[in-house]
Amino acid sequence: MKRKILSALLCVAMTATMLVGCGDKADDTKTDSNNNTQQDSTGDTTTDDTTTDDTTTDDTTTDDTTTDDTTTDDTTGGEQKLTVWCWDPAFNINAMEKAGEIYQQDHPDFSVEVIETPWDDIQTKLTTAATSGNYETMPDIFLMQDNAFQKNVISYPDSVVDLTDSGIDFTQFGEAKTAYSVIDGKNYGVPFDNGTAIAAYRTDVLEEAGFTIDDFTDITWDEYLEKGKVVLEKTNKPLLSCQAGESDVIMMMLQSCGASLFDDEGNPAMVDNAALKKVMETYNSLREAGVLVEVNDWDQYISTMTTETVAGTINGCWIMASIKTADDQSGKWAVTNMPKLVDVDNATNYSNNGGSSWAISSNCKNVDLAKDFLASTFAGSVELYENIIPSGAIATYLPAGESDVYSEPDEFFGGDAVSAKLVEFAGKCPSNNTGVYYYEARNAIAVAMQNVVGGANIDDELKAAQETVEFNMQ
Amino acid sequence: MGAKKKKMSLERRHNLTGWIFLTPATLMIAVMSFWPMIQAFVLSLQTGKANNLKFDGATNYIRMFQDKDFMQSLGNTFFYLIIQVPVMLILALILASMLNNKNLRCKGLFRTAIFLPCATSLVSYAIIFRSLFGVDGFINSVLIKLGILNTGYNFLGNATSAKIVIIIALIWRWTGYNMVFYLSGLQNIEYSVYEAAKIDGASPMQTFFKITVPLLKPTILLTTVMSTNGTLQLFDESVNLTKGGPSNATITMSHYIYNQTFKFVPKFGYAAAMSFLIFILVAILAFIQMKVGDKRD
Amino acid sequence: MTKTRRANALMYVVLTIVSVISVFPLYWMLISATNKSVDVSRGTMLPGGAFFDNWKSLFAQSPVPTAMLNSFKYAIILTLVSLVICSLAGYGFEIYHDKGKDAVMSVLLLAMMVPFVATLVPLFRMFSAAKLLNTTIAFILPTISTPFLIMMFRQSARSFPHDIIEAARIDGLNEIQIFFRMFVPTMRSTYAAAMTITFMNAWNNYLWPKVIMTDDTSVTMPMLVANLTEGYVTDYGILMLAVLICSLPTVVIFFFLQKSFAEGITGAVK
Repeated sequence: MKRKILSALLCVAMTATMLVGCGDKADDTKTDSNNNTQQDSTGDTTTDDTTTDDTTTDDTTTDDTTTDDTTTDDTTGGEQKLTVWCWDPAFNINAMEKAGEIYQQDHPDFSVEVIETPWDDIQTKLTTAATSGNYETMPDIFLMQDNAFQKNVISYPDSVVDLTDSGIDFTQFGEAKTAYSVIDGKNYGVPFDNGTAIAAYRTDVLEEAGFTIDDFTDITWDEYLEKGKVVLEKTNKPLLSCQAGESDVIMMMLQSCGASLFDDEGNPAMVDNAALKKVMETYNSLREAGVLVEVNDWDQYISTMTTETVAGTINGCWIMASIKTADDQSGKWAVTNMPKLVDVDNATNYSNNGGSSWAISSNCKNVDLAKDFLASTFAGSVELYENIIPSGAIATYLPAGESDVYSEPDEFFGGDAVSAKLVEFAGKCPSNNTGVYYYEARNAIAVAMQNVVGGANIDDELKAAQETVEFNMQ
Repeated sequence: MGAKKKKMSLERRHNLTGWIFLTPATLMIAVMSFWPMIQAFVLSLQTGKANNLKFDGATNYIRMFQDKDFMQSLGNTFFYLIIQVPVMLILALILASMLNNKNLRCKGLFRTAIFLPCATSLVSYAIIFRSLFGVDGFINSVLIKLGILNTGYNFLGNATSAKIVIIIALIWRWTGYNMVFYLSGLQNIEYSVYEAAKIDGASPMQTFFKITVPLLKPTILLTTVMSTNGTLQLFDESVNLTKGGPSNATITMSHYIYNQTFKFVPKFGYAAAMSFLIFILVAILAFIQMKVGDKRD
Repeated sequence: MTKTRRANALMYVVLTIVSVISVFPLYWMLISATNKSVDVSRGTMLPGGAFFDNWKSLFAQSPVPTAMLNSFKYAIILTLVSLVICSLAGYGFEIYHDKGKDAVMSVLLLAMMVPFVATLVPLFRMFSAAKLLNTTIAFILPTISTPFLIMMFRQSARSFPHDIIEAARIDGLNEIQIFFRMFVPTMRSTYAAAMTITFMNAWNNYLWPKVIMTDDTSVTMPMLVANLTEGYVTDYGILMLAVLICSLPTVVIFFFLQKSFAEGITGAVK
């Protein structure tokens, strides 16, 4: 009996693959053949249902033939539900659910279903869906890492919906933040969380070395190094720890002067990149002086702070949530801007690390609803951002920064109005060009940095890194 | 004459039964492995990024030999293979024959304990290994206390030692797994054989090499093929323990392929071609192992 | 006599050391599950008092019961079906072996060597076209028949005495009956070992379900654990509790089956 079912299934599977699997030719023919199979399968749902009874397709409306850039307004009668993929229950999932509640007040039929999906999985699912030319598995809205926007949108232009004329006012967001999800002048993402770089310090440790937080505000990396040496000598604590083999700190330094690993045409520009060379020199001298220590992984990085072996850190502002888990250190931390590079054009004390934006998938059955939902919540509701502030989600939506909630003091950080400070930092952050080959370049730079730490020559390593990226771009 | 004919037909019938026995499994493998594999092969002949693929002959196969990072990953993987597989299998064999001892007490406990590593989730064991081998980790503090080192050594920050940490981790995780096969294989050896050997005055060493190893040959072959295969496709340890670092010194082929597919701008054709190289390498090695080990005596 | 005693003592020492090294991470997991995240990160080795808090938070934020149920469902169905069809094939390949079947076996072995990264995308296309995403069938089909299991049964069938088969045939049993009544009970130790391994592999399978499972109700335990590591803040106490829960079933199954495959009933063959 079981074997019968299996063989029946096999036949179905095999014939189905015949239909889709052979379509490896040109792009157009592929989507064509797909649309056909899609229609076919919706056409004879009656026969299909009997064989695939336990399939749970997430169709919101059953008899809805989808075309790619849908402007179907069959909101009438249809269930107004949006499926969303994002990954952090305390943070973006919570924010999405709160947004759903706010939208529900005016639209009683509306609901969001959030499916917790780690970013790695979203990327894997997006890639597999894209290669099969069938986005049916994708949700209506998903959260995308800012650094991955260019790569995914340029690789799979038909995977997300263009939001340029959606009625969302993108000028209300920090310019650097919005830039991540703008490709060829078109907006593909609604900016969400803030990855503004901060420098956080243990004020009690600084005090022991004779410094205050002001001595570390608006400083240069040279001053940071000198003062760091004093702190190290007096307290035996380095100022900064970071993960070996990850280029977070390097990328932050680079963005702080608006520099990038690519030129405007998208070609790798690492050789003769004065800013990049300065960044690597700075990093290496910090490490040689012992002001910066490298650890092997994220968990150890966190534990350098919880076990009080470092006097501070520099990272995206979301790191505050991890710092706060050590509640016995309350009041001992302070937040300020990061040091700036010396002798580099356009150097600032502001940068960014991480962050993500909402994208509407091309599989969305009700694009207008999704657009309106995002426009009236993440891009239009100060109330939403006020609601999610306790979870540490700092807005990139500038009007939210003027809200009173943002100027409330945070006892953990010595009674400072940290949230307002972050919105201010975000506004000053220079934008840079991530490039389609961001992850390739980032990897190559991490390798180069590790070799430089091991004693290699910076120019040689930059040349090798550039060659690696160029090879990958062929 | 008639009897012979009858026997023939009986043999034919048995032969047919044999085919029926193996049909479901074979069919499933054909559809679930070979068919996708053929598709992957077709893909491997195409170049381009994301979905803009075009046929380009053997370009991908030539490209991989010019790809420094891939060649490095190939070297790393073989380094693991050559050291880890023999050490692990010998260790598993020794442990299995110890645990097969009839007079040993608390056998169940020992067996379960030694099996535990492969049941332990990768997440926790990666965290533990990284912290054990950290600069101020447990291993370093022991070495400092013993006076072997003066200051903490950065095991995961150095190319050779990071590779060795991966090998240790692999041995730790998979020895118990392989032991299971040996234990189960040992059941097919009559205990009386051992008793006889003992009476003949054979030392435990002699018994091990003259009786255990030859009788376990089919199982040893099985585990060797399997471990070779597992190591050449190694992915988890490279991703979770070292992230391929420092400077790609520990990255494996599968990890590199994964990066090319999901992390970087996807190059499906190239990824498929690299997968095929793994496939060919494993097939060659398995073929050699089968030739050496799979004889019905 | 003293020599054997010394050898015995040495054996206990070696086994104890190996066991301690093997068990250590599980111990650490257990300890961590009872501590607050910040204490885990500080490297505590002593039990803490946060177990119930961790338990409550874990169950509040993650669908543990659903994931457990799914994982059990997938793993059990996969293990049972897989054992039947693979042992049938392994037996068939060995007992009725001839040139043709040996050749087929060698070809099948090739399938074991296909890296999963390579077949992932074609397989996904196949299941997505067949509208089988998010189903048990999609979870189990790709790994239901593995050359490895077939080979394992083939290798162990090699030690299955042919005279038993002949005797059974004379007694009038047909081939299927011989398989189920003679081979299966005799090979209990192989089945137990195969069951442990297959269950474990099915339970820990991660990459495939991550690609084909797209709704909340089909989440598996390894996926749940992965979800916990992905946020901006990792709560190590909760994570370790989840990891512990995720590891237990395999350990328990091993503990109950180990007697069968390590102290098999070889005598029954005679």
